[in-house]
Amino acid sequence: MSWEKEVIELANKRELAQEQGGVENVARQHSKGLLTIRERIDAILDNGSFQELGGTSGDVTRDDEGNLVDFKPANFILGFGKIGERRCVVAGEDFTLGGGSPNAAGLRKSVYTEELAYNYRVPLVRLHQGAGGSVAGAGGSAAAKPKTVGAPVNHAPRFKSVAQAMASVPVASAALGPVAGLPAARLVASHFSVMTQNSQILVAGPAVVGRALDNEITKENLGGPSVHAKNGTVDNLVEDEASAFEEIRKFLSYLPPNVWELPPVISSIDPSDRRAEELLSIVPRDRRKIYDMRQVIDLVLDDGSFFEMGKLYGRGTITGLARLNGQPVGVLSNDSRHLAGSMTDAGSRKARRFIELCDTFHLPIVSLLDEPGFMIGAAAEKASTIRFGTAAVIAAATSVVPWATVIIRKAHGVAEAAHFGPDGFVVAWPSAEIGAIPVEGGVAAAFSRQIAAAEDPEAERERLEEAMLHLQSVVPRAESFSMHDLIDPRDTRPTLCDWIDRVQPLLEQLKGPTSFPLRP
Amino acid sequence: MANKVTLDTAGNMWKVLVAEGDSVKKGDVLFIMEIMKMEVPYEAPADGKITAIHIAEGDADLEEDMVALEIE
Repeated sequence: MSWEKEVIELANKRELAQEQGGVENVARQHSKGLLTIRERIDAILDNGSFQELGGTSGDVTRDDEGNLVDFKPANFILGFGKIGERRCVVAGEDFTLGGGSPNAAGLRKSVYTEELAYNYRVPLVRLHQGAGGSVAGAGGSAAAKPKTVGAPVNHAPRFKSVAQAMASVPVASAALGPVAGLPAARLVASHFSVMTQNSQILVAGPAVVGRALDNEITKENLGGPSVHAKNGTVDNLVEDEASAFEEIRKFLSYLPPNVWELPPVISSIDPSDRRAEELLSIVPRDRRKIYDMRQVIDLVLDDGSFFEMGKLYGRGTITGLARLNGQPVGVLSNDSRHLAGSMTDAGSRKARRFIELCDTFHLPIVSLLDEPGFMIGAAAEKASTIRFGTAAVIAAATSVVPWATVIIRKAHGVAEAAHFGPDGFVVAWPSAEIGAIPVEGGVAAAFSRQIAAAEDPEAERERLEEAMLHLQSVVPRAESFSMHDLIDPRDTRPTLCDWIDRVQPLLEQLKGPTSFPLRP
Repeated sequence: MANKVTLDTAGNMWKVLVAEGDSVKKGDVLFIMEIMKMEVPYEAPADGKITAIHIAEGDADLEEDMVALEIE
């Protein structure tokens, strides 16, 4: 007498679990251009590396003899896998079963996900498409009425494990369809989040919104990319699911598997003494002309290594990951095309989150500076720019990683302080303009009466701006050792490669969690 | 299929360098906005003819995402 009968039932359940919500529901998912969660997991992981946990959990119905009559698998899939040959936890809602609104076993797996990742100290990847809790409870109105309701009073807050995961391991998430309620909160409780063109992120969907606010709005208009790709809810927007998986895989490649280890250094084929001739003239001498800072980034950091995060919001500020001689670094910079590179409320939030990301995972920061200051004007004031901006400045002032700042052009205002770390390495290009405020605004503020009283006000304004500009020259500052050096722009890469070589040994002492818990 | 050139940001129209009916090549500068004392040029995304212009020099406070002009 063996246990074969039980083992056969187990095999049946495993097979039934592969069907997820059933043939019809799977077909409906596909018809919308969406993959099932099992297909997504297969696509994002290294081939054949998925080790599922709880693959036979779910709701069962048995006949009077105890034989399995029906099996609805847990509608949340969870397990280990490999990405870039490194172990990770991967998880996501099964939207084909109950619209991803968790059934009982699904909920248990779902809230266990973060604990699994931080207990094993491996990155966590969450692939979201689903709604939050149903009013009918997990398992719906068909479930038998339980004897006790609600969690025990001493139950740990659900989001404590979410916070612990963010403090311990890289967490990357994707919105691959409609994501509402609890899954939406998990989506943004991550270090890197991405949404597809076909996805929506919602606190609650149109039915709930319609009932509460008495208006009709589609889920696309409520929470599609036109809303959330541009407001900092997620970092990146991609065309489709394959691109989402690619971006998550790429993001993880710059980071260590957990905070107790350092970012993986790869061997670089880009020579550290590469001096790009274009850098000598890339900043126009005409101060009104813009230039492409992303080209500077490409010419200075390891070739092709720049992975931008948050390109679509806070666009005057640029943040992203890259490598310098194979060492992963954070890059913070400005795009003069957008509001002259000015740091807005959104840009400040992006910068603060980014600095904290680098602090958490021990990424040295390279700052390429062209900052006119926080954004000014009525809209900027309404958006509380000074509060968000000062948070970014404080994040920089208390940063624990090594910083190197290259002053490329403007360095003004309180905002410039968001681009320097404590005891940082500071060099400047001859094109640098350094002062409390850009001359145009500064002269308008300080000399308004003198200009108005002049015979030719415009000429007087120009004369004063010229004079004040002279005071902003970088040359006397370099002569006064107000920075480590004034450099030939073409020497930027070699200079930074020397710096990264000097600071690499210092990263060792940064291992471990940061003193502050990272917040979304 | 008309190529719609939309504004990336709100701002003022400093110079408009093309007129309806002009032929342009990909990369030609079509118009320049002035934002925070910087000249922000907009280039033609493809070769074509300007079929519609919705902006004029001196326009102030134009809205982000508005269609500035169309090229076919």
